[in-house]
Amino acid sequence: MTDTPVRTRPQPPLLAIIRYTLLAAAGNRRGRWMAVAAIGSVLFGLLATALNGGAGPALANVARPGLFALVLPITCLVIGDAILGSELRSGAFTFTWLSPVAPWQITLGRWCSGSLIAGATLGPAFALAAIVAGVPDQAGALALAGVTGATAYIAVFMAIGCITRRAAAWSLGFVFLTERLVGSSLSAVAQWSPSWEADAVFVGLTHDVADHARSGIPQGWGAVVRLGLITIVALVVATRGLRSLRIVGASD
Amino acid sequence: MSDTAALPPPPMPPPLDPAFVAAPSVVVSNVSVWFGQMVVLSELSCSFGAGVTGLLGPNGAGKTTLMRAMTGLLPTNQGQVTIEGRLPRADREVHRRVALVPEDEAVPAGLTPRQLCTYVADLHHIDERSVVDWALQMVDMVPVADRRMDGFSKGMRQRAKVAAALVKNPLVLILDEPLNGADPLQRRRLIDLFRRLGDEGRTIIVSSHVLHEVESMADRVIVLVRGRLAAAGGHRAIRDAMDGVPRQILVRADAGRRLAVALLADDLVAGITIEGDDLMISTTSARDFAFLLPQVAKTHGVGLREVRPLDDSLESLFQELLR
Repeated sequence: MTDTPVRTRPQPPLLAIIRYTLLAAAGNRRGRWMAVAAIGSVLFGLLATALNGGAGPALANVARPGLFALVLPITCLVIGDAILGSELRSGAFTFTWLSPVAPWQITLGRWCSGSLIAGATLGPAFALAAIVAGVPDQAGALALAGVTGATAYIAVFMAIGCITRRAAAWSLGFVFLTERLVGSSLSAVAQWSPSWEADAVFVGLTHDVADHARSGIPQGWGAVVRLGLITIVALVVATRGLRSLRIVGASD
Repeated sequence: MSDTAALPPPPMPPPLDPAFVAAPSVVVSNVSVWFGQMVVLSELSCSFGAGVTGLLGPNGAGKTTLMRAMTGLLPTNQGQVTIEGRLPRADREVHRRVALVPEDEAVPAGLTPRQLCTYVADLHHIDERSVVDWALQMVDMVPVADRRMDGFSKGMRQRAKVAAALVKNPLVLILDEPLNGADPLQRRRLIDLFRRLGDEGRTIIVSSHVLHEVESMADRVIVLVRGRLAAAGGHRAIRDAMDGVPRQILVRADAGRRLAVALLADDLVAGITIEGDDLMISTTSARDFAFLLPQVAKTHGVGLREVRPLDDSLESLFQELLR
C-alpha cells in the first residue's frame, strides 16, 4: 500500500454500473451498427417523400414497417447484446456479479445504459427522418415513439437474455413471430408489443394520421404508459432471471 | 502407580481426511453439478483453509465448474458450498471478501485496468482509492494502467483480472488457471504474490492442469478427475502417487534409435514408438525412469535434447489416480 491513502467518496453502485456499461459497450465496436441504424432511419424518411397522399400519412406508412418493425428492434437487439449478452457469453459479467450489489441495481444500471445509447442513437435519427420526410412538426412525436419503444425493447431483450440460453434466437423469435406474425392479427398480443405500442405513440400524438391508428391498443400518451408498464414488467423478469442465472462463461 | 496413570489413554483423534482442513473457510459438501445429461461434479466433498491450495486435474475435470460453484456463479444441483459459513449463491454479502479470477480471456474491452479496478472498488463501496494503485502495482500493471485492454496479450489480461480481484482485499481468492499466457518472469512474480497472500492467512485456491505449476505455489493439492475427487494432500504425496503409475514420455535425443535399443533392454520400458528423432516411451514407473534415462544416455553417449510427459499420458495418469 502507499503511505498516504487517498480517500474519495466512491461512486454509488448504480452510477458505477451505468458508467462501466457505457464504457464497456463503447469498446465493443458496435458504433457501426448505430451509424447504420441512424442512416437507415433517415433513408426511410427519404422513402416517405416518394409516396403519394401527403407527407404525414406517407411517413406513417413508412414508419410502421420500416422504423418500428425493423430499425427499432434490430438496433435494440444490438444494444441489448452490448450491455449484457456479450458480457454473459465472454465471462466479463463476473466482475459485476461477484459484488454485494443487489441484482435489481445491476439490471437497472444496465438498462439505463442501454436506454441512454438507444436514446442518443434513435431519438435524433427518428427526428431527422421526420424532417427529411417533410413533416418537421412530427419530429418530436416520432423521436418520443422511438425512444420509449427502445427503452421497452431493451428491457424485454434483457429479460430474454436472463431467462434463456440462446437469447439472440429467442429475441428474434419474439420480434418476428410473436410481434409481427401473431401481433399483426391479435390486438391482445400487439398491446404488449414494444413495436406496435411505439407505433401507437407516434400515431396517437400525430393528428393527421388518425386513420392509421390500430384499434384495440392504447394510443398516444396511453401507449407511452403501456410501454412504461412493459418496461417495468420486463425489468422485474430480468432481475428474477438474473438471480437464478447459471453464469458459465466462455470456457465452459 | 497412580489412579490417573491407570486410566486408559484418551482416544486418538481420527486422522483428518486429506481432502479436508482443520479450520476451513470454504467447505464443499457433497456437491454435484450437471448440465443436462452430463455430470460435471459428482458428490464432491472437500474444504479449503488458509494458504495456497492447488486444484489439479486434466481439462474437463470440473475445476472451473467447482470454482464457479464456490463463488455462487453456478447453482449446485446437489449439496452445498459455504464460505465462512454463508451460502454464496444466496447471500451477496459473501462477495465482499471473495474474489474470482476467471479463466476466460475476456475483459471489458473498452476499459483500462485502472477503470476496471475503480469499478470493482465502487461496487464494493471502497473509499480508499489508493487500493487501486496498490492492486495495479502488485501485478506490475502501473505502466499500462491507463491503456485500453483491447490490445492486451492474454497474460496482461490475466494480470488485470488479478488486480481487479485484489482491490476488494479478499479473504478467499479463487484463481482459474491464472498463469496462462504469462511470461516466465511474470509467472514467477504471480507465484510469489499468491504465496505471499497465502502466508497472510488468506485462502488461495489456484487451478491448473500442470503439476509442476501447482507444486511451485501450493503446499496442498486437490486432484479432480471427471468431477470426482481423485487425490488430496501435500504435493509430494501427489507426486509420489503419480510417479508410480505407467505413463508415456517423449524423448528427443541425438541418436534416438541407439537410445531406444538400449532402453528396451530394461524392464521399466514397456514399449517405444519411434517417429523421426522422437521416441515415445511407455514406462511402468515415471519416477524410476527418471533415474534410468540419463544413466543409459550417458553410457551410450547419447545427448538428450528434450524429455517431457505427453499430454494424453497426463490424462491417463489422472485417470489412474482415480482407481
